[in-house]
Amino acid sequence: MLRLEKVSRIYRTRRGDVKALDKVSLFIEKGEFVVVRGPSGSGKTTLLLSIGGMLRPTEGQVITDGIDIYALSKRDRARFRAKNIGFVFQLFHLVPYLNIIENVFLPASVVKNRSGRTDARELLKRLNLSERESHKPSELSAGERQRTAIARAFLNHPRIILADEPTGNLDPENADQIFGYLAEFNRCGGTVIVVTHGTAADQFANRIVHLKNGRMEESSKNE
Amino acid sequence: MTTFRLIRQEIMHRKLNFTLSLVVIVTAVALFVSFFTTGQASKHETTRIMRNIGLNLRIIPKETNMEKFWTTGFSEYTMPESNVYQLASHEGLSYAHLTATLQGKVFWQGHEVILTGVAPEVSLPGKQKPPMTFQIEPGTIYIGFELVRHMGLRNGDVIDIFGKSFTIVRCLSESGSQDDIRVYGELHDVQSLLSMENKINEIKALQCLCIVNGRNTDDLDVLREQLAQVLPDTKVVLLQSIASARERQRLMAEEYFAFIMPIVVVVCLAWIGVLAMMNVRERRAEIGIMRALGYGSGKIALLFLGKAVATGLIGAVIGFAIGTGLALEFGPDIFKVTASMIKPAFALLYWSLIAAPAFCALSVFVPAMAAVAQDPALILREE
Repeated sequence: MLRLEKVSRIYRTRRGDVKALDKVSLFIEKGEFVVVRGPSGSGKTTLLLSIGGMLRPTEGQVITDGIDIYALSKRDRARFRAKNIGFVFQLFHLVPYLNIIENVFLPASVVKNRSGRTDARELLKRLNLSERESHKPSELSAGERQRTAIARAFLNHPRIILADEPTGNLDPENADQIFGYLAEFNRCGGTVIVVTHGTAADQFANRIVHLKNGRMEESSKNE
Repeated sequence: MTTFRLIRQEIMHRKLNFTLSLVVIVTAVALFVSFFTTGQASKHETTRIMRNIGLNLRIIPKETNMEKFWTTGFSEYTMPESNVYQLASHEGLSYAHLTATLQGKVFWQGHEVILTGVAPEVSLPGKQKPPMTFQIEPGTIYIGFELVRHMGLRNGDVIDIFGKSFTIVRCLSESGSQDDIRVYGELHDVQSLLSMENKINEIKALQCLCIVNGRNTDDLDVLREQLAQVLPDTKVVLLQSIASARERQRLMAEEYFAFIMPIVVVVCLAWIGVLAMMNVRERRAEIGIMRALGYGSGKIALLFLGKAVATGLIGAVIGFAIGTGLALEFGPDIFKVTASMIKPAFALLYWSLIAAPAFCALSVFVPAMAAVAQDPALILREE
């Protein structure tokens, strides 16, 4: 379903080239929960952004459902991303001037999701945020903000969720809650790829991929 | 989520950035509107003063002795009446409201009288204007105050002048000048009375205000040069007036304005551009996540350009109101004669509503392109 073929990514800097990903090949089945683990600077985020169609690899291909996403035009790739992929980031990245329902509703206009507002309300209810609907992100706790970001990622019914250190700023209780929601999405057939350097997500993962210095060191099944 | 709502919410959230941009555009529009509105009033004022002064150019035969001219008040020499039509047939002259006159001193019923014949005004080609002087019908006269007083005359009286009957249509009020001993009649009637058919001794005219645009040249030199080409046997006397001084002052102010306005425009352009660039930097993460959610370059650019247009529209309305308010508040003190003529120039509002948003969009164009060009992956990776 998702295939990375010898994906390399080189950042060109004044001090020379930095190889963030070095010929990474990976195959992820539909409905898998994959944890990508590695130390800081190992290329985890670069890998996630490349899978998400946000960062063109210097070499290699990213094929999702048979489509080489970097062969698409910028516009088509953006549309593909909006329809198929949901993002969750460590810093939540909520739009500060929109209230919670508007933040969740934000991706709906890109894919003309007509039931977007109803879906957003439903998601907020499921994530216990109904009472916070009209609040601004600055008025929420970190856990509530991340739940809002998850609701936003779920809105367009994506097939893949890409989460970059989604619990990095949360206490263990909230972290468990967030992974619980991601696991629920996974149980419903969605594919989840979580990038983290911690082990909290391991209990939900089907597979753990280790990255070091941009290379995939091992990919192990989680028993 | 509509673009309009996103723009509105962002404006409400980052009030300071918006307010500072708004202040700049309001200042620019208000400055322009107030100057233009008072400038128009100044123009009206000058025209009104000029009209009140009356015809300020006197074209007389070249051989006229000026000492005698100033003593008697008119030239003892004459020129053909056709001169006025010859002058009127030339385009591009700085003369307007051409009026042929014939004046002569006579003794009538024991009084010294200045008989003054006045022809209807002649307009230059393409310069048809309402007459500035009175028009006298043949067989009628206007009679000066002293003659009225001594002879006990009234409107409607029929009097005999050198064997011809005339009806008095107006007894003039006291002027304290030679006009008090004048009898005004239609030019051809007076020519007949003075036995000077087809002769005139003066063409009165109004100096066209446009001439003071040639500030580097003396007005009189220009007038003389023009006259020499058309009527070489005549000369011109210019009654210097407060109107031309005022017009020069207005043009000088316009010149300063023309110098200052581009500086104001450039400063405003830069100011709004810098504020927009700060806004782009502040919204890096927001741009990054929007791109991740699938928002295209056009929509991102629209967020910034749309905000600029909104700033311009609001700025145009407020700037117009403030500029007009300033003109209405302080204009009447400056232009006392035409205070009532200082009115809101609503045409400027329409222009402001077009120009200010366009100006703001232009200022924000580079920052908007910078926002579009930002690599969302880089932003999200950095964050």
